[in-house]
Amino acid sequence: MVEKTRTTPVIAAGLALLVFFGGWFVVTGHGWGHLLILAAWGGYLVSAWLGIRKGSSAAPFHTPLLTSIMILLAVYGIVLYLGSYFWGAFLIIAALGVYALEKGLKDGKEILKESLKASLKNLMIPFFGFFSALIIGVFIMLATGYDPIESYAALFYGGLVKNWSVSILNATPLIFTGLSIAFAFQAGLFNIGAEGQYYVGAMAATFFGLYLNLPPLLTILLIILISGALAAAWNFVPALLKVKTGAHEVITTMMLAHTARYLSPVFIRTFGGDPATSTHAYVTDPILETSFLPRFKGFLPDTNYRLHIGILIAIGVALFVHYLLFKTRIGFEIRAVGQNPNAARAQGISIGKNIFRALLFAGFLAGLSGVVQVLGLDHKLFLNLSGGYGWNGISVALLAANNPIGVIFTALIWGILDAGGQYMIRVTDTPNSIVEIIKGIVLFLIVARYIYVYLGNRIKRRSLRRIEAKNAAGGRA
Amino acid sequence: MSPKEERNVVLETRHIAKQFPKVLANDDISITLYEGEILSLLGENGAGKSTLMNVLYGLYKPTSGKILLHGEEVEFSSPRDAISKGLGMVHQHFMLVDTLTVTENIILGAEPGRGGVIDYKKAREQVVAIAKKYGLRVDPDETIENLSVGLQQRVEILKALYRNAKILILDEPTAVLTPQEVDELFEVVKTLRNSGVSVIIITHKLEEVMEISDRCYILRRGRQEGERLTRGATKAELANLMVGRDVVLTVAKTPHTVAKDPIMQLEHVTVLNEKKVQALKDCSLDIHPGEIVGIAGVDGNGQSELAEVIMGLIPVESGRIMHEGEDVAKLSTRQRIFKNISYVPADRQEFGLVLPMTIAENIAIGYHEKMPYCRGLSLDYSYINRHAEELVASFDIRTSSALAPAGTLSGGNQQKVILAREFSREPTFLLVSQPTRGLDVGAIEYIHSQILAMRDRNVGILLISMELEEIFALADRIMVMYEGKIVKELDPEKTDEKEVGLYMTGGNA
Repeated sequence: MVEKTRTTPVIAAGLALLVFFGGWFVVTGHGWGHLLILAAWGGYLVSAWLGIRKGSSAAPFHTPLLTSIMILLAVYGIVLYLGSYFWGAFLIIAALGVYALEKGLKDGKEILKESLKASLKNLMIPFFGFFSALIIGVFIMLATGYDPIESYAALFYGGLVKNWSVSILNATPLIFTGLSIAFAFQAGLFNIGAEGQYYVGAMAATFFGLYLNLPPLLTILLIILISGALAAAWNFVPALLKVKTGAHEVITTMMLAHTARYLSPVFIRTFGGDPATSTHAYVTDPILETSFLPRFKGFLPDTNYRLHIGILIAIGVALFVHYLLFKTRIGFEIRAVGQNPNAARAQGISIGKNIFRALLFAGFLAGLSGVVQVLGLDHKLFLNLSGGYGWNGISVALLAANNPIGVIFTALIWGILDAGGQYMIRVTDTPNSIVEIIKGIVLFLIVARYIYVYLGNRIKRRSLRRIEAKNAAGGRA
Repeated sequence: MSPKEERNVVLETRHIAKQFPKVLANDDISITLYEGEILSLLGENGAGKSTLMNVLYGLYKPTSGKILLHGEEVEFSSPRDAISKGLGMVHQHFMLVDTLTVTENIILGAEPGRGGVIDYKKAREQVVAIAKKYGLRVDPDETIENLSVGLQQRVEILKALYRNAKILILDEPTAVLTPQEVDELFEVVKTLRNSGVSVIIITHKLEEVMEISDRCYILRRGRQEGERLTRGATKAELANLMVGRDVVLTVAKTPHTVAKDPIMQLEHVTVLNEKKVQALKDCSLDIHPGEIVGIAGVDGNGQSELAEVIMGLIPVESGRIMHEGEDVAKLSTRQRIFKNISYVPADRQEFGLVLPMTIAENIAIGYHEKMPYCRGLSLDYSYINRHAEELVASFDIRTSSALAPAGTLSGGNQQKVILAREFSREPTFLLVSQPTRGLDVGAIEYIHSQILAMRDRNVGILLISMELEEIFALADRIMVMYEGKIVKELDPEKTDEKEVGLYMTGGNA
């Protein structure tokens, strides 16, 4: 989309910084940050226009114009929607419209239609799986004597409207762990120990949050980078063992996950959680306020108090992981090693190097999950901090077929089901286990994709046979 | 061979057609199989041979047409039906359980004994008896994983015979065998014929048809192109029927001047394999620009180690590998690729391509860290895809788009993708291993002419092949490898397959 118009790296970096600081000021409650973003937009359009005038870019001017409008609409729309300002949906729809317009202008109506059809087709299996699971859920509820209509109404009202902020808070750490597992899967590795890296990230974030007293933006960035790096380092030994001895990462990362999990009580004792003095045993002292992630409340007054910008970081990181995997040399090598290590090696790609890259970055991503949870939501570390985000990340990654963008949505679905389930048990008699059953069925129906291929072929064959029979009958008559 | 009229018809198909959702795989096929004959079904990949056999074996239902067994119309709804009527099939990929013994594999699904208890003693006796009757020597107590491919195939044949097969279908039986194993298989097939079993061999190799079969049918694009008695037919005639145009069986080779200084030299190279045994022993070799050096040898005599050590996939134990006068033995695979050393690996699906990736990505791999394939950290997909589209056109790769996954291509087109990748990189030295394994005549012709074109552009080429025909068709010099050593250098003009074969098997030092 943007790739046709080339801005020089210096200008691009300048504009990116402008957008970054603009965004930061906006989320910390300084409305004039919007002006910086608008300035960056203007700057981008000017540089694109100059590029076209000088002939260094072949694209017509409406391409960068429409693309940038689309991105602005989408970003503002998504942020508003996430903050329970549901009219943000209109902006998102408008962004989709602008996207279709731009693609239609560039490639013509036919290609636009085809790509629409293809994306609808890709969505079919997940939708079908999800709705089938809901229908099976109806039967289960009928059989066990609960009211399915009332329960589902509560489930979705709770998950999508009433407790929407809870859904997002649930989804945020899941996006990170889902990305971690999906990324490792792309290299053919199963980072089953994401839970451990989550704890390492959370512990490191708590430690630095207690002691690092710098300006907020700097503190947060430093904590994210250092804690993420430590979580990545947690995967160093599994990567080393995998490369040197072939020890399977499922075993090594799993064992280190338990190690990290049971290190946390020791950590908590050391940093405040003393049952003799503290009223709350097994809770650390709260971290300094300079390291708190900004909250949506700061710029969207009508939103839930607890909602923090971790979800925006998660979406940004998911987009980055997608770019890394599918548009860069590193991602290309990782995918090649994941899909056929022998062929990759014969073309000079080092398998060991890519195992390190994949496992360390997967550790980093899972670590971010813990970091964001501590800096954004809990502001301290307590026992059983994780709601099994590391393990649930496996489901989220599988459901998304290891696609980073898909992970955002599958994590949201999980978050919605969890939040809605909590609401449902408060207002109806239906037990929460129904939600867990539905989750299991969704996972089964979507991951077992080959079922649909099989069914599809059968239907096709049957209709073909019918046509043949008709033809044969017609021929004889 | 007795004349046709006197012999019993065992199996007959009448106007078989098989329609798949998009292709008509079989169109009006009528073949006849006589008792005690070896019948070949010859055709290119995708000609419909396997479909026809799967119809016969009950795996597919024909869309129309009839199957007659001993003159009676039959309908098989599953292989079980076909087996009970005396048909046996040996698939290209064996259906054996690696961890079970020969006897256990043979009786699997037809175990003797009462109730749930298997009478192993009886089973073993039966297996031994059948093996003896047909001259199929194999240890009944050995586990499958310890057997060579040739012996595994023998177990498959025994499996069919154990179920009283009177008609045996062999699907591409020689594709996985070494030359000796091929000879042994042919002996077995002849013994079977002489004891009254009728054999159908599915193949695309002309030599085999000529050597083993009594009669053959030729299929092309799902249609029956003709029937020939092997005795009267010529290879060229069969090839033309098969491909539908005149095929040059051996591509014309023009004399070409060879540069004096070698481009690639192996000096006393010794290599250890995984088991720390010397796989290459003191191997010395030099290849000059503009010549093709052919390595002849039976599979497993150090050829794969030779290829891997040149590409840096395994380390040298001792010795030097000189490329343009520089020792590359310590360089990584990537550094060697960047020195314009190109490699067409023997196993194209395992070592040549990343099947789920697109054709374009498969062409870029290896050079993906070079300009113009990438800009900084990002890959330049618009260049990669455009470049691939050009190569798809110039190498005549049959595909809907360069963005199709490589796994969707046929074997010949997959090999063309590899050739396109390696040949477009302007190599100075080219290592080609088994370039036409499993390909049909048309594809072989194309690939051979491409390799010769590279020679004529002054590339030094090392050709490793198990097919002596290929070595003789392409090589300017023949090196025979035996047990990790180069045992003899021969001039293709002054030698013949017999002499090379002798050195290949360690004879006549």
